[in-house]
Amino acid sequence: MTPEHTRPVAEPGSFRDPQTRVFHADGEVLRGLGAQAAQDWKALRDSEFFARAQADGTVTATEEIDRELPGEPGTWSATLRHEPLPFVTYHYEWSHTMRQDAARLHLDLLQQALRAGFTMKDGSAYNLQWRGSRPEFIDVGSFEPAKPGEPWAGYRQFCQTLLYPLMLQAHLDLDPRALLRSQIDGVEPAQMRRLLGGTKRLAAGVLKHVHLHDSIQSRNADRSTGAVREQLRDAGFNSELVLAAAKAMAKLVTKLDWAPPATHWGDYRETCSYSDDDRAAKQRFVDAALDATDKTDLVLDLGANDGVFSRQAAARAKTGYVVAVEADPAVVDTLYRQLRAEGERRILPIVMDLADPSPGGGWASHERASFAQRAAKADVTLALALVHHLAIGRNVPLPAIVDWLAGMGHTVVVEFVHAEDPMAQRLLANKPDGLFPDYHVETFVRQLGERFDIAKRETLPGGTRTLIAGVRRA
Amino acid sequence: MESHLAYLDAGSGSLIVQALVAGTAGVVVAAKLYWRRVTSVFRRKTPAEATAAPVETATPAAATADKD
Ligand SMILES: C[S@@+](CC[C@H](N)C(=O)[O-])C[C@H]1O[C@@H](n2cnc3c(N)ncnc32)[C@H](O)[C@@H]1O
Repeated sequence: MTPEHTRPVAEPGSFRDPQTRVFHADGEVLRGLGAQAAQDWKALRDSEFFARAQADGTVTATEEIDRELPGEPGTWSATLRHEPLPFVTYHYEWSHTMRQDAARLHLDLLQQALRAGFTMKDGSAYNLQWRGSRPEFIDVGSFEPAKPGEPWAGYRQFCQTLLYPLMLQAHLDLDPRALLRSQIDGVEPAQMRRLLGGTKRLAAGVLKHVHLHDSIQSRNADRSTGAVREQLRDAGFNSELVLAAAKAMAKLVTKLDWAPPATHWGDYRETCSYSDDDRAAKQRFVDAALDATDKTDLVLDLGANDGVFSRQAAARAKTGYVVAVEADPAVVDTLYRQLRAEGERRILPIVMDLADPSPGGGWASHERASFAQRAAKADVTLALALVHHLAIGRNVPLPAIVDWLAGMGHTVVVEFVHAEDPMAQRLLANKPDGLFPDYHVETFVRQLGERFDIAKRETLPGGTRTLIAGVRRA
Repeated sequence: MESHLAYLDAGSGSLIVQALVAGTAGVVVAAKLYWRRVTSVFRRKTPAEATAAPVETATPAAATADKD
């Protein structure tokens, strides 16, 4: 035991495989391995496959360390340390192309693993995370030496958390996020079957992965997986077939494209009502606020749209990480593709309605952390031209918005759009006259001042937008 | 043999579908699995089997199909 370390706390989302468990301690991410998992790790560690995946960053950087972890004596035979992720996201916060790339990476790793004599224990989207626009497989405990004649145990999970969601978007133009957020194990074959009847049966992958899958599953419901595994082995199943299945699925995933529709927010940058002077002043204000902040490790850009200010923040906060949060999935998908093309590793775009952010999920509502919980560690929050959407568009009272902001970044930069501004007028036009008598910049600044020290305030040349920088009171 | 039972319930049906996804060779494996199941059910249902020793004259596949 090394006494200088604080006691590691178990990660609530890693209990499913009893052979391995993730712990957090002083910002470090540690993983305990049971006896079997430790043996598997030794084989993995010495493989060329793993060295390659470490070098190209597709599997989280991992090293073995000498550290004791909480648990009954003898629970953990080895301890690993992983490179921490700047921000954890879940697949119900990804855009379609992100999901596609994550699925591709999973299948790619599976194929490489199989060629090297390993397999993967699962197939869950939760094992994939992001560093900027690059997906990364985080569950080193998932790899184990393959046994002859053994199918991929993760196929069903892969279908439910990655393949089916891709199909829903590609074949039905149905955003799968609502289903994924409410069902931790993903979409069931039987649900998919109901959604993809009629001619949709003929759409790519549907007949096999959905209809056949569902009927074979119900016809085998009373057989144990152990019995079926044995039958498969006896019938000549082998890892070549797993490889062939993984290849076929990779091909299918690539086919499941989705062209983001032109949405209301898609051309915001061209249609917004800023003059060049407004824009320049806004950029200067944001830069100055970021420069005045000593800690910019994690910046949240709320209502990020095309990410102009996320990029600005990433450029300004040289080493920091920016999460661009935007409600419009088409806008996020476009931003993601741009960032991916640029190889950007410090800006992560996610899809989320901030008036209805991700709740906690899974076991005890803790297995998956809520957005609020994850956002609490932010250093800076940008909320530029967003508050009017929440206050007028969604009827959220201004004091509630201030409380919400105080639960996030230490420093906030808010752009408040006055009621007279054409954009606010557009939102107000949908609400009865006089519904928001308190929607006023002075009211907002006063309320913000109750939780934050107002460091700077500036009205843009156009006169209908005010920028405010605040530092949260301890 | 316990060790091959992974922590995750892979779904017995899903394991078979995986063979079908793997292409022709996989379909052959799945067909063989089903054929063995059919013949093993058939064997169990023969009146002779209920009373007498296993019938050795059934199809060759049936000879090893008593696994489930
Ligand atoms: C006026 S634009 C501002 C874009 C950017 N922050 C800027 O200052 O240039 C507002 C953006 O917020 C997004 N938005 C509006 N309501 C939202 C909500 N409830 N959750 C997340 N994003 C939202 C819109 O989709 C839009 O892209």
